[in-house]
Amino acid sequence: MFEDFISSWGLFYPSYITGWLVAFSLSLVGVFVVAKDQIFISAAVAQASSFGVALGLWLSLATGIAWLGSDIALMNSAVLFAVLAALFSSHSIRRDSVEAVTGWIFLSASSGAMLLLTHSPHGTEEVHRLLASSLIGATQFDMWVFVGFAVFTVFMLLRYWQPLLLFTLDPRMAATTGLSLWRWGIFKALWLGLAVGLSIRVSGMLYVFACLVLPALVAKRLCGEIARLLWVTPIIALFASGFGFVFANHYDFPPGQVTVAVLCSLLVLVWFLPVNQE
Amino acid sequence: MFKEWWQFLVSASNIFPVEQGGKPVISQENQIPLLQLDNLSLAYGKRVILENVSFEVHAGEFWFLLGGNGMGKTSFLNCLLGLIPAQHGAYHLHPVLRSRARIGFVPQQCSFNPSLATSVREFVSLGLVGIETHKSEREAALHFALQQLNLTAFAQRNYWSLSGGQQQRVRVARALVRRPYFLLMDEPTNGLDLAVQSALLEDLARLQQEGLTILLVSHDLQLATQYATHVALFNSGKVQAGTAADLLTAPILKQLYGTQQLPHCPHCLTAHV
Repeated sequence: MFEDFISSWGLFYPSYITGWLVAFSLSLVGVFVVAKDQIFISAAVAQASSFGVALGLWLSLATGIAWLGSDIALMNSAVLFAVLAALFSSHSIRRDSVEAVTGWIFLSASSGAMLLLTHSPHGTEEVHRLLASSLIGATQFDMWVFVGFAVFTVFMLLRYWQPLLLFTLDPRMAATTGLSLWRWGIFKALWLGLAVGLSIRVSGMLYVFACLVLPALVAKRLCGEIARLLWVTPIIALFASGFGFVFANHYDFPPGQVTVAVLCSLLVLVWFLPVNQE
Repeated sequence: MFKEWWQFLVSASNIFPVEQGGKPVISQENQIPLLQLDNLSLAYGKRVILENVSFEVHAGEFWFLLGGNGMGKTSFLNCLLGLIPAQHGAYHLHPVLRSRARIGFVPQQCSFNPSLATSVREFVSLGLVGIETHKSEREAALHFALQQLNLTAFAQRNYWSLSGGQQQRVRVARALVRRPYFLLMDEPTNGLDLAVQSALLEDLARLQQEGLTILLVSHDLQLATQYATHVALFNSGKVQAGTAADLLTAPILKQLYGTQQLPHCPHCLTAHV
């Protein structure tokens, strides 16, 4: 199995490395999503990011400006909508709860993406590709983008994990320590939006959503304190994506879906582990 | 050379002000109040919560903010914490408190995620957020806070596996880890049984004896009569503030709460007569 994987390395290494870096980075961001139990928010942000890609494609077709459909433009559009979704989904609007706003974002982005591209050639196919996840098309450029994002994520966590954690878990307490809530709110939305927006076009909604929440959910059952989550979570993400890619390559399965299946199995496994409440 | 520069930088950015002769830089002899309220008014939109509140809090005092539900006690606390702005007037903090590094806060409830295991040690260490310190100073502050509330043995325990009373002590320790001069507490005794309330208040009284200034929101007149040196009585947008001896009297409480039934109070024996 491993020999097959090694032999495919020369052809697919940008996809493999990008997939692992996406899993690594998203899992670290996901610690803060799971810490706040905002599982559904990450789905809404990923869906809004898909809408950004769909809007870029539609604009490119509608206006005839090919640049709007380029990789860079689609990436920017995905990041923009992911950031906006992350900003809006952390607030209640006119007495409707955060969950209600999140639900609205998810549903409007899902239907919007489909409606925009229904009548365009290959449009529905593109939406399905975004939803289903395919890592095979990642390029060297994508790989270097994620090297940069992973380094940024690690640096920010080494420097600011405690303020970010306190802001995430207890904003009122964070404010009393002198942290600026709006500044940290914008930073967190930008971070989540960048992570999802950059990943969505390369790896699709399923892989992005899974890497955001599943490694942290597995690690949460294994760790006795939050600080440990920050190193156990990316290890789980890398293990699942590493095993998933090798397995998928050997049996000719899509690597994203295999990774998600591995993570789901791990979560079921840890649900049955005895938990030390102390 | 590098080591000297490093030490200089660390000391220059040290948030713990230098203690003078083992005493805090703010002491009871120091005439500048820790907190001075100057005709402070609070409002949510057009709804006035508090009007023209003026009083001073000095070092080493133990204040109870008393009043019924919806009288503005928590809003007042939020204003002091910088969470809501004053409508009119102002409050002035002692210069040492202006960076807020030396203000501790104990919220009524913990909004952390109960499904997320959080060790007592890391819970308390989150109280140091916003303070740039050297690792050894952080460790010392953590040790100090845990020791003050007899929590050293619980350091590695999961916060969520502790009893309500122990959790409240951990929240107090999270405030103390900042080595505060001024401790603000929002109904810290809510939901605790009498024995646990009493033990917590005894700890707070000891800290107050050691120089800590405490401002505590409460509904509990009995605790106020036992522990407060000063009280602020919140009623319909007005605040009466003064010493416990002057204010916890039967006529004033009758006026505010419609009761003359004072619990045993060393200050108020004459009021019962």
